[in-house]
Amino acid sequence: MAGRSQLTVQIMENRPRFDLNNAVESWRKELASLPNLAYDIRRELEAHLQDALTEFQERGLNDEESFWLAARRIGQPQKLSEEFEKAYPCGVWSERIFWMALGIISWQLTLILSTVAKIMLNYLTPGLHPFYQRSGFWFVDAAILIIGVVLAKGWVARSTTSICFFANRFRLALSLTALIILLASTQVGIVRQIGLNRGYDSFVRMGLGAWVSNLLHLTLGYLEYSIAPLILLILFFPPINQKTLGRA
Amino acid sequence: MYKTAMLTKDLMAASSKPLLLSILTGGESYGYEIMQKVRELSGGQIEWSDGMLYPVLHRLERDGLIKSEWKQAGTGRERKYYFINSSGRKALKTERQQWLAVHNSLCKLWKIAPVSI
Repeated sequence: MAGRSQLTVQIMENRPRFDLNNAVESWRKELASLPNLAYDIRRELEAHLQDALTEFQERGLNDEESFWLAARRIGQPQKLSEEFEKAYPCGVWSERIFWMALGIISWQLTLILSTVAKIMLNYLTPGLHPFYQRSGFWFVDAAILIIGVVLAKGWVARSTTSICFFANRFRLALSLTALIILLASTQVGIVRQIGLNRGYDSFVRMGLGAWVSNLLHLTLGYLEYSIAPLILLILFFPPINQKTLGRA
Repeated sequence: MYKTAMLTKDLMAASSKPLLLSILTGGESYGYEIMQKVRELSGGQIEWSDGMLYPVLHRLERDGLIKSEWKQAGTGRERKYYFINSSGRKALKTERQQWLAVHNSLCKLWKIAPVSI
């Protein structure tokens, strides 16, 4: 007991003050970083943590002691994740597929929106400088993409209060999309070919805007033709060892 | 009273199913409350880490023996309530027979009065 109070004193000296909200937040993040704890499970565990916190606080313990005991009572997140893996052999993948499908749907939506926006822009500004006309209105794509990401981030934050943006499944979906875009961007030859088909005879003539727009075109191709079959594959052949695939 | 050693992992895993199903026959409940009941019933001899309760509950739900629903408590706090269904009750009946059969065999060996099944 003497040792423990000494430790408390030390902690008090080193840290300005224990913040319960911060502690719960980082506990939440730790859970979210583990592969097998779906949102619903984390929500349940957090309800348990809150109940335990209340119980210890009512017994007269301070915030720090209550949190420490409550978290300890729930157990090591890593061990929990392993237990849940046994309970839900395909659980991770169903959630992962959800994010992937969401990624593709949002990509398609982005393209539809951008096409509509471009047609409207063309219609509304007939006398626009040819540079903008030729650029393929890449800035429209960019704007829609940025607005989409901001909205999606808000949606994720609102509907799943305990997920931090880059945690877990979302990270996987994003990294996969990023991978595809990187893959596409290495295909300079194909980008040029698209440019040639569209009537540019060189990269210089094509300009940055058209280059970006061709890259988007190519990325869409990759997304459509490589991810969709991948999802079907994952759906019908769940991987044998999920642990190695667990982290993005 | 002397204190017996903790249950082994295997025994804990096997007994969790009838234990949880039996608790839920007393009415719907959520994880924290179930855990308190387990602690209370066993007098501290069945010591799970609280989190380990949830994989078991989820497995029972997946097997169709219990159902769950998110509900708001009076305090405004949301909790996932579990309740037993008819197949759960049926499964519990079988479990009960099996556990008592084991119990009675041991009772005979140890010369303790058996219980009726």
